[in-house]
Amino acid sequence: MRLRDITRQSWDQVKRRKVVTALCAAGISIGCAAIIVAMSIGESAQIYIEQQMNSYLKMDEITVRANNGALADDSGGTADSDSLQQGRLTGQKLDIMRQIAHVSAAAPYLQIGHMQMTTMDNKSAQNPTELLGTDLETLASFGHSFLYGGLSDMQGTIVLSYGATLGLMDEETRDNLQKQMSGNYYDESLIRQMESLNRVPGELYQKQVRFVQYTPEGEAYSMPLRVVGVLAKPSGSTEDSIVYDKKGYISLETAEMLKKELKLDGERNGAFDTVIVKVDDQAYVEQVEKQIQKLTVTTETNLYQKERLAGEFKILKAAALGIGVFILIIASISIVVAMTMSTYQRRRQIGIMKVLGANLSQIRNLFIVEAALLGLLGGLLGVMFSYWIVWGINGLIYRLASEQDSVIIFIPLATIPVGMAFALATGIFSGIYPAVSASRTDALTAIRRD
Amino acid sequence: MLQIDRLSHSFKNGSEVTAVLRDISFRVHKGQMVALLGSSGSGKSTLLHLMAGLMKPTEGDILIAGHNIVSMSENRLAEFRRHHIGFIFQAYELLANLTVRENIELPLVFQSVQPSVRRKKALALLEQVGIPEKAELFPSQLSGGQQQRVSIARSLITEPSVIFADEPTGNLDTRTEEEILAILKELNKALDTTFVIVTHEREVAAQTEHILSLRDGYLITERQGFAEASLTGGPAIAIT
Repeated sequence: MRLRDITRQSWDQVKRRKVVTALCAAGISIGCAAIIVAMSIGESAQIYIEQQMNSYLKMDEITVRANNGALADDSGGTADSDSLQQGRLTGQKLDIMRQIAHVSAAAPYLQIGHMQMTTMDNKSAQNPTELLGTDLETLASFGHSFLYGGLSDMQGTIVLSYGATLGLMDEETRDNLQKQMSGNYYDESLIRQMESLNRVPGELYQKQVRFVQYTPEGEAYSMPLRVVGVLAKPSGSTEDSIVYDKKGYISLETAEMLKKELKLDGERNGAFDTVIVKVDDQAYVEQVEKQIQKLTVTTETNLYQKERLAGEFKILKAAALGIGVFILIIASISIVVAMTMSTYQRRRQIGIMKVLGANLSQIRNLFIVEAALLGLLGGLLGVMFSYWIVWGINGLIYRLASEQDSVIIFIPLATIPVGMAFALATGIFSGIYPAVSASRTDALTAIRRD
Repeated sequence: MLQIDRLSHSFKNGSEVTAVLRDISFRVHKGQMVALLGSSGSGKSTLLHLMAGLMKPTEGDILIAGHNIVSMSENRLAEFRRHHIGFIFQAYELLANLTVRENIELPLVFQSVQPSVRRKKALALLEQVGIPEKAELFPSQLSGGQQQRVSIARSLITEPSVIFADEPTGNLDTRTEEEILAILKELNKALDTTFVIVTHEREVAAQTEHILSLRDGYLITERQGFAEASLTGGPAIAIT
């Protein structure tokens, strides 16, 4: 019997027996949709949390530091600078790191320190700003974009993070607030007022700011820098967290100049404090890290967080899949019942087919294909339902979530074939018993009209 | 073409054994049209089912086109039926979800014959049974007589060695009965197909060349005694 004929006859039965088809397809579709939605929620949540974690923990980045050898373990040993040459983080090593496969960017950093930033009209933030000397060209490679302005070749310029522009107020205002707060630490309205003031962005673009350094002797040294750019808020950051992300990026040349002006200790001698290496895919972080370690430097990643997360989500996804499969098993019982009833109702037809020459396998195949078609139909409906469900969930999240970039559930394409395969398999497995039972129908008993 | 040798069949009901057919032997040659006549309970339907391979006899052999169907497995029997046996039912037994043409094609579907070949043969047979215009209609759109014509066409499509007709006119009025019998006789002559017609009506049996009468499981041979029946040649049925 040709496959086309089997399919046609089976499809004909699927069309004719509308109630049976609707019952079976509904059962399978619920199971299939449950699998797709559950897997999608798991996958979406994992990606969302990974993105969130990545924005804080930068799991696709490797922090490289100079290797101080035995001194690094606080053993109290001393070493001359020559013997530490091997572990220094030099420009040459930076160039090598940039050549490693899967390294999308490598940025050198000079950590100048946390300093109070003051505007020309004497406004400053409550918290100090971390001043970093770096290759400003690499900012874009690390996911930074400019809210205002851009890069400048000129020395004495600075690029501020969005957080660094927040909460600037004059000393008088701050003193007043602090006076009010002292003794009223639990005054909600004062806390809210403080919080809202800390969130007000100052207009610093193209303005001058000043960083002040006090020596232990009480001498103050400062240097003005012109703000040539303000970075946009990093994606995934919250209004609360951004307030504390106060950074100022200056070129390495400006950093040298600033250190000199502010009488800061330490000589660079062509070396960097840290190098941040960005890898194009988290999957290659470990591999890249191993290659960097060959340069006698120390490395640090947050990759273990991802592994911990993946382990937890693996359990979550397996549980979700289990729920879907359980629903499918329940659905399969309805198919077995519906198709067995259908077999019984069609005994006469089966008998006639047998008299006309149909053998056991032909009858069996007709029923199995019919069950598979029911599975396919249920699967297609399930895919459709899952899109509706996900659409509904997203609508609900959008309404309830306070933050704009809250989790968005999406259906990964890979879950659709998984759902369809489960639906199809449920159809086929559920069809086996009715099909075998149909093929064993005694032709003579079936065609008798006693 | 069809040879029955010392065929006996009995049913067991607990410890009680009821003999339905007793030591029956006969032969039907190719192209003959034979009636199996008997009243209710005479064993004619059992004999028909045994000859069609739907039951296994208690004793004896059934040879169709030289093959003993008694020793065949169920699948082998299905295969054999597909090529050598045609069946006409009293209640036509057409599949309601298939068109007239598709119903006729059905036995060839089980033989995996190409759709174009099936279609051609089905349409030719519809022409022969006189309802070519009904090809794309469904059985429910046809009269009883027309449905039986479709059933006849379906039995012929595999060009079987023998066609068994189970009370083919049992559900029809007298006029339609005559039409159907006329078609059977015509096809018998035109196609040289062997027909075994099971009936309880003497008038129907009288339309055939030979009558095999069954009474209480015993076979009684009769020559045609009705005016409208015709006897051709010598005795075609040999009682051994």
